[in-house]
Amino acid sequence: MSETFEFTKEELAEIDKIKAKYPDKKSPVMPVLWLAQNKFGHVEPEVQQLVAKTLDIPAAHVYGVVSFYTQYYGTRKGKFVFDVCTTLTCQLCGGYDILHHLEDKLGIKAGETTEDGMFSIQSVECLGACGYAPMMQITNGVYCNHLTKEKVDRIVDDLKAGKMPEFEQIPFPQHQNESSK
Amino acid sequence: MPEIFIDNVRYEFEGKPLVLQFMLDHGLDHPFFCYHPSLSIPANCRQCYVEAGTPVFNRETNSYELDESGERVIRFFPKLMTACSLEATDGMVIKTHRTSALVERAQKDTMEFILVNHPLDCPICDQAGECPLQIQTYKYGPEGSRFEHKKVHKPKRIKLGPRVILDAERCINCTRCVRFTEEISKTHQLTIISRGDKNYPAVAPGTEFDDPYSLNTVDICPVGALTSSDFRFKARVWEMNQTPGIDITNGKGCNIDVWTRDNVVMRITPRYNPAVNDHWMPDFGREDIRRMNENRISKPEVLLDGDRIKSSWNNAELNFTENLAGLESNEILVIGSAFSSVEDNYAVKKLFSTLGFNHQVFVPNIKEGSGDGFLIDDDQYPNTNGCRLLGFEELTSEKLTLLLSKGNFKMIVSLEDDLVGRGVLNEDLLKEPYFVYMGSNHNKTSALADLIVPIANSVEQSCSYVNSSGRIQRTTAAKETLYTNRRLNLEMSVGRLDRYGTKFDNWVTDRNRIDCIPAWDFIERVATNLDKQTGYESASEIMDEIASVLPAFNGLSYDRIDDELGVQIIGDVSKVTSA
Amino acid sequence: MSVDWKNFEPVLLPKIPVLHKIDVYEKNGGYDQLKKVLKDWTPEKVTNEVKAANIRGRGGAGFNAGLKWSFMPKPDGGPRYIAANGDESEPGTFKDRQIFEYNPHLFIEGAIIAGFAMSITAVYVYIRGEYKDWIDMMQKAVDDAYAKGYLGKNILGSGFDIDMYVHSGAGAYICGEESSLMESLEGKRGYPRVKPPFPAQKGLWGRPTTINNIETLANVPLVIKNGAEWYTGIGAKNHPGPVLYGISGHVNRPGVYEYPTGMSINDLIYDVCGGVRGGKKVKAVIPGGSSTPPLRGDQLEGVCMDADSLRTAGSMMGTAGMIIMDEDTDMVDVLWRISHFYHHESCGQCTPCRDGTGFLEKTLIKIRDGHGEMRDLDLLLDLCTQMEGRTICALADAAAWPVRYTVTRFREDFEKRVKNTVYALA
Repeated sequence: MSETFEFTKEELAEIDKIKAKYPDKKSPVMPVLWLAQNKFGHVEPEVQQLVAKTLDIPAAHVYGVVSFYTQYYGTRKGKFVFDVCTTLTCQLCGGYDILHHLEDKLGIKAGETTEDGMFSIQSVECLGACGYAPMMQITNGVYCNHLTKEKVDRIVDDLKAGKMPEFEQIPFPQHQNESSK
Repeated sequence: MPEIFIDNVRYEFEGKPLVLQFMLDHGLDHPFFCYHPSLSIPANCRQCYVEAGTPVFNRETNSYELDESGERVIRFFPKLMTACSLEATDGMVIKTHRTSALVERAQKDTMEFILVNHPLDCPICDQAGECPLQIQTYKYGPEGSRFEHKKVHKPKRIKLGPRVILDAERCINCTRCVRFTEEISKTHQLTIISRGDKNYPAVAPGTEFDDPYSLNTVDICPVGALTSSDFRFKARVWEMNQTPGIDITNGKGCNIDVWTRDNVVMRITPRYNPAVNDHWMPDFGREDIRRMNENRISKPEVLLDGDRIKSSWNNAELNFTENLAGLESNEILVIGSAFSSVEDNYAVKKLFSTLGFNHQVFVPNIKEGSGDGFLIDDDQYPNTNGCRLLGFEELTSEKLTLLLSKGNFKMIVSLEDDLVGRGVLNEDLLKEPYFVYMGSNHNKTSALADLIVPIANSVEQSCSYVNSSGRIQRTTAAKETLYTNRRLNLEMSVGRLDRYGTKFDNWVTDRNRIDCIPAWDFIERVATNLDKQTGYESASEIMDEIASVLPAFNGLSYDRIDDELGVQIIGDVSKVTSA
Repeated sequence: MSVDWKNFEPVLLPKIPVLHKIDVYEKNGGYDQLKKVLKDWTPEKVTNEVKAANIRGRGGAGFNAGLKWSFMPKPDGGPRYIAANGDESEPGTFKDRQIFEYNPHLFIEGAIIAGFAMSITAVYVYIRGEYKDWIDMMQKAVDDAYAKGYLGKNILGSGFDIDMYVHSGAGAYICGEESSLMESLEGKRGYPRVKPPFPAQKGLWGRPTTINNIETLANVPLVIKNGAEWYTGIGAKNHPGPVLYGISGHVNRPGVYEYPTGMSINDLIYDVCGGVRGGKKVKAVIPGGSSTPPLRGDQLEGVCMDADSLRTAGSMMGTAGMIIMDEDTDMVDVLWRISHFYHHESCGQCTPCRDGTGFLEKTLIKIRDGHGEMRDLDLLLDLCTQMEGRTICALADAAAWPVRYTVTRFREDFEKRVKNTVYALA
């Protein structure tokens, strides 16, 4: 049976609120895609059609947008997606080691999803956490900083147990430096 | 008047022309890919580079600053400019590849980058021979390639829609096709997907590119990325002859080019006419090649004891004249055709008027609401206004049926119009009288005729049509009949194959020449038999005569129609009624 | 000459606990500058003060913010916009998120003041989609500001209306480019626009728009509070003010630090960040995000983090996102990864960038994998020439500069790789 995708009344109300922020009907497409992806876990073609229909914009436009931005999942991914940063600072500080460790641990390569549909791994471009390298992001959400192989193992185990890592507030070093002076 | 200096030559300009268009208008060759005069300007191909500078104006002295040698001081833009997006300003100085080594190098550089991911498959590519990328690579491209890596691979042979096929590897991302669906046809069916060198155009998954204008994207694609599923692999460009014509599938009268090879119409493409169709035409107009090539009536046919047999032209003339003899003026019905040309209709009408037969009617084929306000018109026929101006009585289906059932017609002469097929007449009405059908293609109406006269169609003769907005435009013979010859008819195009082909060539045969003549020619033969000959030798002579006798056509000639890309002869179409 | 930084007290990210809460921010003088401006100042006065302060854009281009504001045409009654650029995708850059996290209201106050100066009707805050948590923080701050009447209709009874919306990106480096950011805000693929027209004439939805970096706008209330003279007294003469240095790579204490502009790079590495890990030598420093040309470790003496000093040294300030590499770093690998980044992020609109970035990366892979030849180094430099300044936006330049300057400044690393090939022996 094919899945059907629809927005609930509450979500449609939320979309109306989003629409009110922009002066034309094309502009809300990105936030509405986010809303759809958060709900369905992906924005596969059927969801793109839904978004196009809801906003009354061409489906081709939605497809073009989805395929341009890397965070939209045009095809289904695992329940948890490890976006491992390997750009520049993370590369310097061992981002690839983390990536390969994760690949070995889960038995899949970057770009793949485990058979049980739990985990996907992606090697991604700079996530803007260079000072806390190496790092990764989980399913477009929480940042896991200062990764070590042990920390990665712990995160994977926690996720398997249904526990999402918490937001890590990284103290502003200057404040610390001065307090230690 | 403001002036601009391009490669040290002074030009004057008006308004705010864009430098690239200005150069093209002045016959200066300049390479470009993404620019199209009827679309927005994304300046993304980066091919039309020029060096551009403006003179330094001194506000205090209210004059241009001059250097030691008395020349204006020119301040050049720090970067190369894309001529497509650069507006000309007074005193601007432009250096192209002809005068600037930097520009020459930059154009080569861009070309190298474009070719990095473009497959080297010109030998099997439909676009070869008319490919801007191929041509410009010859003219402006680098000598060889320094790219020793794998090219990016993308999908090939994607059926975007019923008529258009995409080879994504050939695409150079000019975005012309996407802009076309956004700005011209407004169906918004195409988008560019992905990012960077993985980009290519696509439709949304689960939808298809069924835009009624989709094939225009094939025309404007500067490479062989978009091809027509109909024309794909059918003919090389250099094997075909290209002849100007008019699209007669529609009242709009889009200007077209008719591409033939060995007297078969291979494809139809739009021909630029800013007053009618700009650079575009609807897809169904291109499918008209079937009507031109297939199901043709070749050689006259007569009904003999219930059997339809091919006959000679002499016999056809004889049959026609014999049946005409002795009929009263109200015993003949002449049915003109909004599908046929002005000249054919005029010749028919003139002969019968001279003979005193004045039941001359036509039934327009207008489907209200079927048009789109762009290039698809409600009027299904190309010459409704022509028939009106010539004075055929305009009848509805009901009125014609009434006329036929009440009247006592012994003979009906009908110019090409499938009256039965399109539901205007019940076939029984045509069975009793002697029915002459003059047409190019077999149809339900011709099947009922006692005499079928094969006539040349719009691509086998020069002829004109008055479109739904009152503009007269004309065609040129593109395809030889059994009685015409490219080398003798100077209007016809002579291609490479015609010049150099031999009987032993695959593509040179005589089998595609139809045994037909223009309707006016047949009428003239009949008139000669009746001693009413007019001496017409060509359609253009008929047009000259029409111009001298009918006020609406005053001052017209083929030369004028050619020079002006058609002439508006009706000011207000809504006021035209049958004279 | 380095500036006096040891006695510098952070002002963008002051040492006040839970400053991100609006009550705390207000208690510490927050929104006072807005009140002052709305009550007593004219828009011209604000613009002139900011122009005089010479806040140079913190997003990378380093353009005088007040001057940029003055390009806006006179109000015609229609909508006018600020697009606040928090896309922050340049590798090495992670500073704006500190503002979202620790001091969002400073930015909001600055944006409202800027809005007042330019008669803006709405501010769109564009934040990269990966910053999900920081987007939420920012949204919360905006909601709080609305609740307190700092945003919306008739702010603080002044008759001035302004709205602020937070817009999430979705993973595209190019959207940090101002015209691409506008396209993205308009719900399109992030293709940079051809200029002219410039955003001040035709920006968001065809209306006058100014694009400012988050950090740039966060500086505005400080200028209003302390005056342009105070501001220009901080840091480098031609590039004044406090700046958020994002320092990462092989240093002992990486992170974001707020200090005056014009700090010596060596001070930042050795004093602020506690030196290079393992006591190693510095091999290379990228001073302002991955697109700025890298400097050799042995050329750092006396180089300071301001536009002039860095230009002299052969680089740029960029976003002040510094990346430090130690002596064991393989520059071929690093350059390949940078090139991979730009290849991945090229939007694909302009030919030289679309196909040039791939050409660069593929050539670098060839060298990295030991198949390179000496002529490939010349080819790389040639390709850079073919890309620089040839595209609509600056991404092609950003992709070419690191290649050009890494290959020329660290040529020995590259020669070592290519000499080992059979081609070189033949």
